[in-house]
Amino acid sequence: MRRRTYRAGAATAAALLLASCSTPGSGSAPEASPNTLVVSTPTEPDSLDPTLANTFAARLVFTSFCEKLYDVDSDLKIVPQLAAALPRVSRDGRTMDIVLRRGVRFNDGTPFTAAAVKTTLDRDLTMKASARAGELSAISRVEVRDPTTVRLVLKHPSAPLLAQLADRSGLIMSPTALKRLGADFGTAPVCVGPFKFRDRVSGNEMDFVKSTDYYDADKVRLNGIRYEFITNSSVATANLESGDVDAAEHIDANDAITLRGESGTRVLHSDTIAYQSISINVRPGAGTALSRSAGLRKAFEMSIDRGALNTSVWKSQNVPDCGPLPAQSPLRVRPHCTPYDPAAARALVRKSGVRSPAVQLMVPTGAATQREAQVIQSMAQDVGFKVSVRPIDLVSGLDLARNGKFDAFLEGWSGRVDPDGDTNDIITTGGSNNFSGYSDRTVDSLIARAAATNDDRQRSRLYARAVRRVGEQRPLLYLYHNRWFTGTSAKLHGVVYQPDGIPRFKTAHLAR
Amino acid sequence: MIRYLLRRAGTAVVTLFLASIAVFLGVRALPGDPATVLAGESPTPEAVAAIRQQFGLDQPLPVQYLHYVTQALEGNLGSSTQDKAPVTHILAERLPVTLELTVLAMVVGIAVGMLAGIVAAVRRGTALDYAANAFGLFGLSIPHFWLGLLGIVVFSVHWHVLPASGFVGFADDPAGNLERMVMPVLVLGTGLAAVIMRQTRSSLLGQLSADYVRTARSKGMSGLGQLGHALRNSLTTVTTVVGLQLAGLISGAVITEQIFVIPGFGKLIVDGVSSRNYPVIQGAVLVTVTGYVLVNLLVDVAYAYLDPRLRTAGAPE
Repeated sequence: MRRRTYRAGAATAAALLLASCSTPGSGSAPEASPNTLVVSTPTEPDSLDPTLANTFAARLVFTSFCEKLYDVDSDLKIVPQLAAALPRVSRDGRTMDIVLRRGVRFNDGTPFTAAAVKTTLDRDLTMKASARAGELSAISRVEVRDPTTVRLVLKHPSAPLLAQLADRSGLIMSPTALKRLGADFGTAPVCVGPFKFRDRVSGNEMDFVKSTDYYDADKVRLNGIRYEFITNSSVATANLESGDVDAAEHIDANDAITLRGESGTRVLHSDTIAYQSISINVRPGAGTALSRSAGLRKAFEMSIDRGALNTSVWKSQNVPDCGPLPAQSPLRVRPHCTPYDPAAARALVRKSGVRSPAVQLMVPTGAATQREAQVIQSMAQDVGFKVSVRPIDLVSGLDLARNGKFDAFLEGWSGRVDPDGDTNDIITTGGSNNFSGYSDRTVDSLIARAAATNDDRQRSRLYARAVRRVGEQRPLLYLYHNRWFTGTSAKLHGVVYQPDGIPRFKTAHLAR
Repeated sequence: MIRYLLRRAGTAVVTLFLASIAVFLGVRALPGDPATVLAGESPTPEAVAAIRQQFGLDQPLPVQYLHYVTQALEGNLGSSTQDKAPVTHILAERLPVTLELTVLAMVVGIAVGMLAGIVAAVRRGTALDYAANAFGLFGLSIPHFWLGLLGIVVFSVHWHVLPASGFVGFADDPAGNLERMVMPVLVLGTGLAAVIMRQTRSSLLGQLSADYVRTARSKGMSGLGQLGHALRNSLTTVTTVVGLQLAGLISGAVITEQIFVIPGFGKLIVDGVSSRNYPVIQGAVLVTVTGYVLVNLLVDVAYAYLDPRLRTAGAPE
């Protein structure tokens, strides 16, 4: 027995020795340095290379270390960030002159110039596997007019381009760092920003420290920021309550309600541009009841009480809606909603001649979304549908949806500032996110025309017509716009939470 | 003994080869591929094609497998599709973390489980026996996730005595490392302790009523002496259970690491599957399978050590 006791001790010692040999983050400070903000996020960013980055989590982290040519304000208006003013667009809409801020330096100390903007945009346009190439496809070439003016020469007028420059396509990288790191830029990214990249422990955390090169450094009161990846909202909330994190980004509505009753914490909310919808497979060969009958799709929509769904699943925290454009969008025209009418829905089901039409509702795994699917299931069954819920991991669900192997798919879209990002590619023929397989020449034309004009009133009318037509044919049933929550310590102040759902920590500070 | 070991080692190599094929094909059988995931929310066919080419996913499966195996034999498991870090580097970072967690959980599980099992067997039918059985039932039925959350709420949120989550290397901060390991180890070790307790109890009860113990008792051997003999003989069964429980421990680590935000193997595999990170999943599963095969090999060797009859050549089959 004694020998075995020694062995158990030796095994423990060996484990600790192994753990000390090579551990994630070895060499980095175990505790965040004083006045460093610790933020939990539910997902880990993919690449930190702006040309390749694709996740919402990456957009969140970029706000701390990588600024864009433009940003959005609380009214979803585009405002200059690294640009000095909104761009000058030529009368024919084919050139866009962007004047840049003066005296700005990247976080490696090198100057931010028009040449740097050209280097970034050229890379975005030409790099293999660039995730930005499609967003910037309207650009024919980029010209440097002078050290602080860059001209974008366009193939055709493009209204959504400005909004793209207020998103990841507007992130500008240090040419010096690009030259040094090449395709590995994402491993040690250098941009203009309030914080600069220090370290990344894959799967666990990312560390940033205050930049001394930042043009607005006087407003930055934190010494650094650390993003930790905590998948489960309840765990993130518990970490916030215990003081292990200072802010828990994107927590569930139920956790937000719990936190509101706690002392020592606060909840920030944002009525975001994100929306939730049900895509219905309407491909000609789909062979499902909903794909064959517009009347059944109407009945299915009429069976859903958006208000009750919001109350029962989301504690009335979301904003029920029946269109893709959020209330803040200056181009939104209030859509005509199909009212909740179970009696009319029952009549339509009877009229269809299909006895208990079957619908398989595919839903990404997650407690809240599955509850939501169950409520929809119950509502639709009340009017005569036979609904089965199929939980599936998101990647598999997207794969099946893109290949048309589903009946109905309950999923969300993080939303875009410009309506083009909420419609084009989603309800246009052949779009990569057109899960429904919907194809309508009129809608395609309306959305293409809306993207090709800079006249806001005309754009608004065109989008309203497109949304109305989709509402009539129902390849997609819009349910609500999301309200997102960030829990924070009561000591944390100065966080700006915009409708794009991304909290900005540039001016944040921790009260003593 | 040597022939036996060689035969066991040969079986292990074949198992690993078959496992590598199963992992390679299993990962690719999942709907969705890394290229589409990496191409983001609005994947264009051009971007997907470029990513496929970059990671060699446009090659036929046998070519991909040969490439993977050839690289693996050279110690290269490829690069993560997420951040391009070498998989061997990621595994080298994560493996010690999970090893520390599982070994500590195993030590706690064995110590607590055996102690409770011995007490329950020796004091059969008493309050101590009932208490040990209640603990066993609790440990077997309580989900790791719930126990972990309960621990965080009690020890971190209300009492503020332990950190809620996170990990720090033992070399960086030994006290901080152990402080952060307390809750995950207890959560992970509880289930194992319950299984070992029940196994130790039943096995020991069987041995204590065996003829050789009765004979020893009639010849005047002390109670402690009888227990020593019975315990040694019951250890064979317990050792088997410990070996089998390793797989459970690793799957338990997946959940425990998620709850306590520990950057170990379990979290790596879950994140890898979510992003269809083929190289990372393949590398992590292959290393896990290797570990499992090795542990089973060691268990077989331990059998031979614990049971002298198995030391004779050719006996164990």
